[in-house]
This record gives sequence, C-alpha cells and structure tokens, in this order.
Amino acid sequence: MSTVKTIADVEFGGELPSFKPDTSIDATRRFGKYVGWDSPRFTDHEGARKEGLPGAIVPGVMSQGFLGAMIHRWAPDAEIVAIDTIFRAPVLVDQPHSITGVVTDVDEDASTVEIDITVTNEAGETRVFGTATAKLPNG
Amino acid sequence: MAEQEAVDQDILDLREQFLNREFDEVTFEIDGARFAEYAKVCGETAPRFIDRNNPDFQAPPTYVSTLVGGRSMPPDFPNLGGMGMDAGKSVQWKAPVRDGATLTGRSHLHDIYTKTGRSGRMVFLVTRMELYDEAGTHVANADTRTVIRERIQR
Repeated sequence: MSTVKTIADVEFGGELPSFKPDTSIDATRRFGKYVGWDSPRFTDHEGARKEGLPGAIVPGVMSQGFLGAMIHRWAPDAEIVAIDTIFRAPVLVDQPHSITGVVTDVDEDASTVEIDITVTNEAGETRVFGTATAKLPNG
Repeated sequence: MAEQEAVDQDILDLREQFLNREFDEVTFEIDGARFAEYAKVCGETAPRFIDRNNPDFQAPPTYVSTLVGGRSMPPDFPNLGGMGMDAGKSVQWKAPVRDGATLTGRSHLHDIYTKTGRSGRMVFLVTRMELYDEAGTHVANADTRTVIRERIQR
C-alpha cells in the first residue's frame, strides 16, 4: 500500500509502508536540545551505562513521535485523533529499528481507521507497540 | 481469591480518594520552532508540521506528550514501595495546537488499576493532563501511564 488520500483508498488489513526511524545519538541529542529529555540516559552511551542501562535509549515521547510520523507518511492528510503507545522495552540508540503498521478497522461512515503500529529491533523483538485512530478525508 | 480481593481493596481505596481530583495546573507557551524540530527528528514529512510558512502550520498531535506539568502525582499520594517506570503515553487530539498559543494544562489521576504476573502485582497509574487554549477550547488530553512493580513480601 502506498500513500493514501481518502478513506476510500484504505483497505482493511492493509500494511503501511515500513519506516526506519532515526535512532542515532545525533537524533536523540537534537531531540534533547530542542524538545527536552536531554539527560545522559538519552544522549550519551557512557552516561546511560552508569545508570545501569546497556546504552543510551530513545525517549519514549520520541518513539511515540515516530508512530505519528509513520501514519502521516502513509496518509499525509490524516488527523490522528487518538494514539496509545505502550513502552514494552527500551529502544536502544544507534541500533537499527523498523516500524510496521497494519489497518485493523475501517469505518467509512465515520471516515476513520484503526491502526496497529509496532517498533521492532533487528532481532525482531517488539520494543514499542501503539494503536491509533485516524480520520481521513472522505473519498 | 479472598486474598486477591483484599489486595485489590487498597486500589479501590486509592481510586476513591484520588481519581479525578485536579492536583496541578501549569501554563505552556507553544513555540513553533520547537515543535517543528520535534516533527523533523521524529520523521514527519507533512509540510503542516515542519514548514512554518505553511498556512496550516501546527504541532504534530503527539507533541503534547512532551509537555510536562509541575508534578506528576498528587502531593499526598502514598508511596507504593516500588520504582515507577514510564509504561506508555496516550494522546486524544481535539484541535490543532498552533505556534504562539498559550496552553493551560490541568492534571488529575485518571485511572488506577493492577495487573498480576509471575513477578507479583504491578500497579498502573494514569495521569491525565487536559490542555486548553486561551479561548478555553479543550485541544488535547495527554496521558502518562506509570507502572510500579511492587516488591514481593517474603
């Protein structure tokens, strides 16, 4: 499924284009500088290890932002009216992750879709799981 | 079973005492440069989130999760004995948040519940910040779910 414009373009069970978020230390440092969450656990591997972590981790609020971006990259005009994000395990900085999404419900009357979104690491382990409701223009 | 009911009674008491009681109010000045950077770092490509010149320039809906109140729990909330961890974030989006807006965030405990696993009981606390603009329009709810893994009594 490529990008969609309207609710008529959406198929139940359709997969959103996979997205590889920028989980580099440069990205978390930029996030820390402009948004907050600039403690060493997010911006410095050695500082994170001193806190008992295996390395720096991506802030949860940044992971949630990845999920929102995933939806907008698929449906640029979508309005996300609700998004719930569960932090199952840390997203480690400088390690590749992938985000996948699937449409789990389509309500053409309300012009909304339900989407499940999953952030996984290279081992295929789920690190973050989200569900979202997005409103799309009528076709 | 009787033991489980007795355990859960403390949660019922906490719910009775603390749910839906506002404990914090804080004001946020919304800076478009800041939310545009947030959008770019998170991988947003839609112009309305990253281009200040876009006529519909607004914060991504998840941006409100980055707004932190003065405190996350009521001042008189008891110490439950375990370490709290961020278990998740939820956003209910109601209206666009624009550059230059002044938002008021009012926080309350929205839910308290438990899950019990092999390692014992976990208590989940959901803190909800309701966000309003200058006109009093309710623009979003931002929920933070904190999990406290109780220490097993031996």
